[in-house]
Amino acid sequence: MITVDGQCLAAFIFGSTVGVLVQRSRWCNTAALRDAMLFKSYRNTKALLVAMMILTVGFTAMISFGNGNPMRFDVGINQFIGLFLFGIGMVFAGACTVSSWVKTGEGNIGALWALLFLIVGLFLSSLMWSFSYWPLAGQTMTGHSNAAGLQFGWADALTLQRDTGIPAIVFGLIQTAALYALYRRILRRERSTLAAEGKGEPVQGASLTSAAPVLAKSTDGNANVSAALPTLGE
Amino acid sequence: MEFFKKSLDPIVALAIIAVFDIFLFQIVGAWTVGGGETMIAGLFVKALVGAKEMNRIPFWRMVFKPTWAYWKIYISLGMGFGALVSAILSKEFYWRVPKHLSEWVMITIGGLLMGIGIRLSFVCNVSTFLGLTPEMNLGGYLAVSGLVIGAWVGTWVYKKILEA
Repeated sequence: MITVDGQCLAAFIFGSTVGVLVQRSRWCNTAALRDAMLFKSYRNTKALLVAMMILTVGFTAMISFGNGNPMRFDVGINQFIGLFLFGIGMVFAGACTVSSWVKTGEGNIGALWALLFLIVGLFLSSLMWSFSYWPLAGQTMTGHSNAAGLQFGWADALTLQRDTGIPAIVFGLIQTAALYALYRRILRRERSTLAAEGKGEPVQGASLTSAAPVLAKSTDGNANVSAALPTLGE
Repeated sequence: MEFFKKSLDPIVALAIIAVFDIFLFQIVGAWTVGGGETMIAGLFVKALVGAKEMNRIPFWRMVFKPTWAYWKIYISLGMGFGALVSAILSKEFYWRVPKHLSEWVMITIGGLLMGIGIRLSFVCNVSTFLGLTPEMNLGGYLAVSGLVIGAWVGTWVYKKILEA
């Protein structure tokens, strides 16, 4: 069993590695969604899908062998509502949780501002919890459903394995196949776009502002929008 | 240091991160940022108002007791540190300040919404896509649905604002 200090050290080493790799690659989760929706640019989306495929196989394989530390995490309607608000917020801020830390490390004051107000939002809404006590996390993270609290209990690869007797990796491989099908679909869409444009190189539209010049050439309608988007991405 | 002279393909970067994340999952748990940020918020306010006042707020007394001995904090701090080192080594560190008032306003609203969303759902975008969903947690699928719809709505609103 690893000590608390060991946990914190492992987390710091992992975080530092992520910081270096994300800084060098300019990957951004916001761009992975927004650029795909707005500009049909999938540079960040493909990376996200590849990571999800690797992690699904890795995590479910570990769960199958009784290893790893899956989150004991109850499902609730609050996950949908919370991430809906988060999704709007990350597009407005032009950064997700990862890119806001990475951009802050690069000297981006706007990213630091986003982080500060993320903390303010977190704290203010923690005061609201005092009045509503919803979601009843402290009381309902029991693994069982609680319809009155709109909590549906704990359901993941581990509970699937336990309830069905089928190793979690089987379900993991099915999910990986679904993610791969989505990845292939994106590749096909990119190829057909390239064929339509008659160009030899794929559109390597990096996140946010670095995508703007590429898009300005291809779609006049998007050019003004992309140029005016928030500038945390670069 | 050739590594810091050229950019890295995000697919390669995320694949390496995913492999490391599997080791982290084995040691302590999957990569997440929202949990660390929640704890940082608690510690930040606790430093401002004191432990006694903080303890009067039920959320910080019953759900998230502020403590530095929480491994998720160090992922966030590590990301900032790693990016700082990388930016300096690649000569890409410089102060960037948003130029327009509208940018400051949008970043402020966006930051607040992200904070409220994390508090409400107990997850962030990282634990949604790269934690809960690979663990096949039903909450991950709900969160992905909310996040994609939210990003779509946010993009739509942003376009309307810009057009106006």
